[in-house]
Parts: sequence; structure tokens; C-alpha cells
Amino acid sequence: MAVTGVLSHIEECIPALRRYATALLRNREDADDLVHDCLVRALDKLHTRRDDADVRAWLFTIMHNLFVSQLRRKKSRPAGEPLTESREATLTLRPDQETNLHFRDLVAALNRLPVEQRSVLLLVSVEDLSYAEAAGVLGIPIGTVMSRLARGRERLRQMTEGEQVRPVLRRVK
Amino acid sequence: MSDQSRPIAEEELHAYVDGCLEAERQPAVLRYLQEHPEIARRVGAYQAQRAALRDAFREVAAEPIPPRLGLERLVQRRLSRQWRLWPAAACILVGLGLGGAGGWFLHGGMSPNPATIAMLAQAAVSNHMVYTADKRRPTELGASQRDDLARWVSNRLNHQVAPPDLSAEGYSYMGGRLAATPDGPAGQFMYTNAQAVRLTVFVLPLHSANSAPIQHVDFAHVDGCAWIDRNIGYTVVGDLPPAELRRLAEIVRRQFEATT
Repeated sequence: MAVTGVLSHIEECIPALRRYATALLRNREDADDLVHDCLVRALDKLHTRRDDADVRAWLFTIMHNLFVSQLRRKKSRPAGEPLTESREATLTLRPDQETNLHFRDLVAALNRLPVEQRSVLLLVSVEDLSYAEAAGVLGIPIGTVMSRLARGRERLRQMTEGEQVRPVLRRVK
Repeated sequence: MSDQSRPIAEEELHAYVDGCLEAERQPAVLRYLQEHPEIARRVGAYQAQRAALRDAFREVAAEPIPPRLGLERLVQRRLSRQWRLWPAAACILVGLGLGGAGGWFLHGGMSPNPATIAMLAQAAVSNHMVYTADKRRPTELGASQRDDLARWVSNRLNHQVAPPDLSAEGYSYMGGRLAATPDGPAGQFMYTNAQAVRLTVFVLPLHSANSAPIQHVDFAHVDGCAWIDRNIGYTVVGDLPPAELRRLAEIVRRQFEATT
């Protein structure tokens, strides 16, 4: 087995793993913690791999499973620390984007989506996973991927198009 | 029945947005969008949304990877942990297929087992911690007995070795000793600078480890630079910035190369 190849494939995936974790958790530090745990777990499981194929989907699967068990732990905790809204929401934006209402609204709206829709949207739209790969990563049927994608996109559209009206109104005033 | 006449499914609109629609369905979907401007507007919004999401998170992926997520570091940490847990880790690592990892990290070196480097560095650091902390007798033979020490260590290592001279770098030679490792005897040479920072140079003959370029190893309290040259393992250890340690390691390596 070409471990050498797997390791360099894993390394290539780290930026994408950080991007997905950041978009999902909305907090840079939590995101890097998740990526760290994912990489450690991947190294633990390295010997179970047969070849270099699908390293990316494999890593996203490991990370998704860690994320889900993290969510479960947080849910079993008493109230407080809501998972949805976060003060770090805008941290994922570049400084020049912060002034850009469109981006800020979009990320804020994304954060209001249920996590199931958010993860599908991110895996497909941002990480370029195929529908089948996304289904494998999330452990759901491909039909569920499609319906979550459709619902997520439509809700996101309604939320952002609703908000885009505001600047127009200001201009009129 | 041609594919063209099949009604357009919502899934196909998303496949169109994601650029994974089957080529033969492309014309039908395009025609459908032309005939249904309201749906075309919605699909256009999805396309814009997809592009905006990619843009919004682009920066994160373009950033340099933080050191704690560096794969090399994670593997090294793992190796040193395993080595501590079980001296036979080398066998396990080979079993796991991790033996090949060395080649990747050492970028085309002779790829000795990474556990060998971990063992070498661990032994160097252990001896460094024990003897540099000793106020009264950090060395077995002091600076004045340089030649005696060189003879003694060379005999026990069955390999000609003399303490490198680092005085030009501001490190004066304090002396050295024979040290113990799981792989047999090693030589340890100790130095100190004007700030009383102690540096040790560790030499350990290894069996069939070939060569490996200088690599950084970090432990809880000190850092080290370890390398292997024709079956002899070397480590420079000190509580110094990595760049400084690396510079000293290069000098030490050149001196050993010149004498052997």
C-alpha cells in the first residue's frame, strides 16, 4: 500500500477540511479543533485503507462523524450555548467582504439553515462533492441529499432576496 | 421515446446549477428554462448563491495551514507517543505500512523507518534533560579531557567521533559522556552559550538505518534536530528557537561529515 500517496493526499485536503469545518461551526478555533481530531483519527485508521482513491470523501466522512458526535454531546448538555447563532459568524469573511452586505447576509442566512441542509449545501456547492459522495459522507440516501439541497437552496434564496430589498428602500428615502 | 421529451425534474435543475447534468439533457433543460422565466430566475438565483458561497469561504482555504494541523507534526507526535508506549513500536509501524511514511517526509531520502528517528530523538532528549539539569556534574569528562573523551566514546561506539567545535557560534565546549539508549551506547557532547543555554550533540550508531536529512523534532520542553548519515544517528538538542537549532545542526553535520 502506498502510504506515501495517502499522506500527501490527506495533506492536500487540509485546506478544504478547514473551509468546511469553519463554514459549519462558524468559529475558527472550534473548526481547527475539529480538523485536528479528524486528522488524528485518519492517521489512526490509515492501515484500514487499501488505496489512494476517495481520500477526500473518506476524510469528510471522518470529520462529519466527529461533528455529529460533538453535536450529540452538546445537545445532551443543559440549555445554553445555542448552536445556531454565533457571534463569530462574520469571522469567516475577509475584511473587505465585511462591508459587503451581500456576503454578510448570505453567511448569516446560511447559519440560520438547519445543520442538515447546511452541510449538504456546503459539501455540494463549496466542496464540489458529487451527490453520491455527499450521500456517502453524510450516511444518507442520495434522494435525501437532493431534497435537502433543494430545500436549503430555496430557503437561502428566500432569506437573502428578502434582505436585498433593504438597500433599495434606503436609496429611495 | 427520446430523452428530450421527459419532463424536467427538480433534481435536474440542481444538477444544472452544479454543472453535473447529463450532457444529453442539457438542451431540454435550457429550453425548459427559456419557456419558464420564473423558474429560470430561481435557477439563476441558485447559481449566484453557489458562486457567492464559494467566494465567501474562499479565504479560509487559501490561508497557510496552522502549525498544529501540520501533518508531519501530527505523525511525529504519534510516533514518539507510540515509541514511549511500546519499544517494539517499530514493528507495529512497519505492520501498519507507516514505514513508507519516512520517504514522504524526508522527500526522497533513503527512507529509514520513522520510528528510528523518533527513537534517536527521544534518547537524545532524555539524556539532554537528565544531564544538562545536573549542576555539579553535567559531564563525565570535562572540556580539558576532550581527547580522552573522544577516544573513549569512539571505542565504545566502534566509530571515530570527536566533539564538534562550536566556539565560533558562541557555544563553548563543556565536556561529554557516554550515554545509554535502547539501541546501545551513544556519545553526548555538551555546550553552553553566554546566556547559559545548554546544548547537547548526541551521536548514536544505528543498524541499517541508511541516511535521512535533518528534521525538526519537538518535545514538551526542548526541541531537537535529528538526522542520520550512513547508519550513524545525530541529534542536536536545546531550548532554542527552531531556526537557531537548525543552523547549529547544519554546522555540526558539516563538521562530522568533514571528519568521517
